[in-house]
Amino acid sequence: MLQDWKNYQPLLIPNIPNLHRMDVYEKNGGYEQLKKVLTDSEYSPEKVTNIVKDANIRGRGGAGFSAGLKWSFMPKPDGGPRYIAANGDESEPGTFKDRQIFEYNPHLFIEGAIIAGYAMSITAVYVYIRGEYRDWINMMQKAVDDAYAKGYLGKNILGTDFSIDMYVHSGAGAYICGEESSLMESLEGKRGYPRVKPPFPAQKGLWGRPTTINNIETLANVPLVIKNGSAWYKAIGAETHPGPVLYGISGHINKPGIYEYPTGMLVSDLINEVCGGVRGGKKVKALIPGGSSTPPLRGDQLEGVRMDADSLRTAGSMMGTAGMLILDEDTDMVDFLWRVSLFYHHESCGQCTPCRDGTGFLEKTLIKIKNGEGEMRDLDLLLDLCTQMEGRTICALADAAAWPVRYTVTRFREDFEKRVKNTVYALA
Amino acid sequence: MAEIFIDNVRYEFEGKPLVLQFMLDNGLDHPFFCYHPSLSIPANCRQCYVEAGTPVFNRETNSYELDESGERVIRFFPKLMTACSLEASDGMVIKTHRTSELVKRAHKDTLEFILVNHPLDCPICDQAGECPLQIQTYKYGPEGSRFEHKKVHKPKRIKLGPRVILDAERCINCTRCVRFTDEISKSHQLTIISRGDKNYPATAPGMEFDDAYSLNTVDICPVGALTSADFRFKARVWEMNQTPGVDVTNGKGCNIDVWTRDNLVLRITPRYNAKVNDHWMPDFGREDYRRMNENRISRPEVNLDGDKIKSSWNNAELTFTEAIEDVNPSEILVIGSAFSSLEDNYAISAYFNRLGVNDVYFTPHIEAGSGDGFLISDDHYPNTNGCRALGFNEVSAAELKSKITDKSVKAIISLEDDLIGRGVINAGDLKGKFFAYFGSNNNETSKAADLVVPITCSVETISSYINVDGILQRTVPAKETIYTDRKLNLEMSLGRLDRYGTKFDNWVSDSNKVDCIPTWEFLERISRNQNSSLGFNESGDVFEAISSNIESLLGIDYNKIDELQGVQLEISSNKTEV
Repeated sequence: MLQDWKNYQPLLIPNIPNLHRMDVYEKNGGYEQLKKVLTDSEYSPEKVTNIVKDANIRGRGGAGFSAGLKWSFMPKPDGGPRYIAANGDESEPGTFKDRQIFEYNPHLFIEGAIIAGYAMSITAVYVYIRGEYRDWINMMQKAVDDAYAKGYLGKNILGTDFSIDMYVHSGAGAYICGEESSLMESLEGKRGYPRVKPPFPAQKGLWGRPTTINNIETLANVPLVIKNGSAWYKAIGAETHPGPVLYGISGHINKPGIYEYPTGMLVSDLINEVCGGVRGGKKVKALIPGGSSTPPLRGDQLEGVRMDADSLRTAGSMMGTAGMLILDEDTDMVDFLWRVSLFYHHESCGQCTPCRDGTGFLEKTLIKIKNGEGEMRDLDLLLDLCTQMEGRTICALADAAAWPVRYTVTRFREDFEKRVKNTVYALA
Repeated sequence: MAEIFIDNVRYEFEGKPLVLQFMLDNGLDHPFFCYHPSLSIPANCRQCYVEAGTPVFNRETNSYELDESGERVIRFFPKLMTACSLEASDGMVIKTHRTSELVKRAHKDTLEFILVNHPLDCPICDQAGECPLQIQTYKYGPEGSRFEHKKVHKPKRIKLGPRVILDAERCINCTRCVRFTDEISKSHQLTIISRGDKNYPATAPGMEFDDAYSLNTVDICPVGALTSADFRFKARVWEMNQTPGVDVTNGKGCNIDVWTRDNLVLRITPRYNAKVNDHWMPDFGREDYRRMNENRISRPEVNLDGDKIKSSWNNAELTFTEAIEDVNPSEILVIGSAFSSLEDNYAISAYFNRLGVNDVYFTPHIEAGSGDGFLISDDHYPNTNGCRALGFNEVSAAELKSKITDKSVKAIISLEDDLIGRGVINAGDLKGKFFAYFGSNNNETSKAADLVVPITCSVETISSYINVDGILQRTVPAKETIYTDRKLNLEMSLGRLDRYGTKFDNWVSDSNKVDCIPTWEFLERISRNQNSSLGFNESGDVFEAISSNIESLLGIDYNKIDELQGVQLEISSNKTEV
């Protein structure tokens, strides 16, 4: 089935004009799945969770954790409030997919979030959207207001005893608030510092109550699974990482943009057929498969690589958010890496020592190399610093900052060696 | 009993201790910065790494799985764990820097990162010598620096509030100060501002850090970022003597350390006592060091035709004896003091009981509502419960005034209590009466006295106090008088300068020693002049007399107070009377 991607009909953002409008969405079968789940006695919350677990929707926010499994970690309801925090902070460089959902199909996400809420007996959903998305925050707020007006949100939805609220919350421009635990801190009105785990959000999340954090795109997949069943969903794309994915493709490419295709697409198909090849007919030098923190792959590593978790792991990278960045053969990887490093230096929250001071150390060393003042030993220093940062912090930002450095330096070492000063000279 | 193996040594534990605290409790040194036993655990400094693993338990055989050599199979956590946030579990195996190269390297790594943006100017830093970062860098840090770039520069000498000054560059962002204002003093005045390596603690714009407990943040700051506006750059730690004491500015009796150099008290810091003050003390208690140094009464003073003149001790003793012998015991009014120690109060009552004066009066200094329910009590004096325990008559200020102005009273003996200064009486009330005042500091009352006997203050002799909660505590002499010698008094601490210096060194002077003696010593001398010793040769004798005569203190001695870190007594029922 992977071969017929050319006939693939988009599911998350179908080709229907004005789908963001409530009437259009309802006309196209919108909120039918919610009705089915809420009114059909066959669909108990456990059953919905099991369907989603069975469908193996893997989180689209970067970690690729099974959504249904995450839902099943929630403790039994005790009468108190329980929350979903829908993560639309989307600040990883190279990632711009949730924006499309907010703009073109917000109700699919809302429906998915309500179904997820039903499955986990949630009382409120917080939609956390990055602050720079001012227009999209307004679009999302409009969609939520429409859903309230239609009675899909609020008290006693569709005449059942299930009630849920949804709040759209604006971030304030911090990358770290896309990390699930600092997103919760931020929602609580505090400084965006990631929390120490355990306790995990399912035990003690927002305001100390059970909370599940899901990506916007992950929740948008839920109505599709409910509609067509888990077997149908599992048949889409790669076996271990099924479903439709919004590929956000950018960089030195002829037709950058968001493309919806199944998982497991050949990278070469995406570059050459979907996006019309590399700009100017050049060769691919590097591919960053899923946002700037995923390890870059060399152009010659891409043969047969598919965009799913397993294939990318074998190739030496990660699926991440499927925000693909393509760099052509003229790119200087030193400049590229410095820019990525600058981003993480700027965005480190400053809580843990290895990240707070390590990101700055990396960036300053890279400036030195970029300015032609670096020495060969600085390359080893960079790798050493990565070892000192990886896995040594509360959240994964230190890893996110260290991986691009480690893999760019090791996979594109010749670029770096060209830039550093010769410190060993031939005698004769 | 649950067991844990740390560096291949077996320890037993109960409950769910945190591994770091457990190691510290068992005397195992381990580096850390952000952890503080009385605050929440953010695990943000990433210094206290250990390797941790748990044994693999086989539910089917109901036993631990063993390998070929019969050892338990240990499943280690994939990442290094911060010991501060790791709960001990039965059978857990911990590897620290002593046994694990990985942990040793991780400690080095984190310290390297901390030092990347930390100024390396220890010689001019006020924290040097008592700096956890300095100590741990020497113990666990890297040999040199690989950082060849410009450090991040941040503001220096920021006056956060009236008492605390911040050097933002030195801050290592452990957030102890922020957590202190959030969790202990609950003023929420501090927060971390900015992001990444540019961040540092600050108040909200336009706000002052004027928390009544603000100086505790200076104590818990693991670097020289927060310094006391009053103490900064006054002295090096290694020049000072650190002596345990009790705060006497307040009924709570916070445990303190008194830091002296050349017999001047330079600062007061809190000393841990779980029963009384935990790790904290209010700011104004620290100001008390001035009272110990300044405005002291040195040498006795007598009133000669309206002029105060310094007198010899012989003359003072004679004046006192004659004045007392001139009047009937029924014409003597003895006023104890809730400010003075048990020893002083007991000595004065013991002496006058012999003369047939059976009643000793005192008036407490309690202002209802002036406390905060934490470490600041309504009671402004440290020993109100002590006076009660000694059976003194507790009277109101008005009652005391009427007693003093009573025509039948011809001689008034008052133990250190500024009765005029705090408005109980005025100087005119004492006219025509002999007024002897035992005090350590000049004040309005001492000015009005006919005889001023200079007595030691709480840091010059052993003084015991019973605080508002009925806890009996004592101080240790920290400061020499001209009659005491640090090298001969085994209770007094010896600092570097005392131990290795001579009296000819230029940092030693006699000018800071006060000419004063404890109350009991003066009264013992008087008694001996009258050929009837009270039997007081040292503070311990006085306390022995107290504990054998006062039922509620029966069987207590200084050793017991030290051992128990304060003895909890039954508080008498008249506590509610104000």
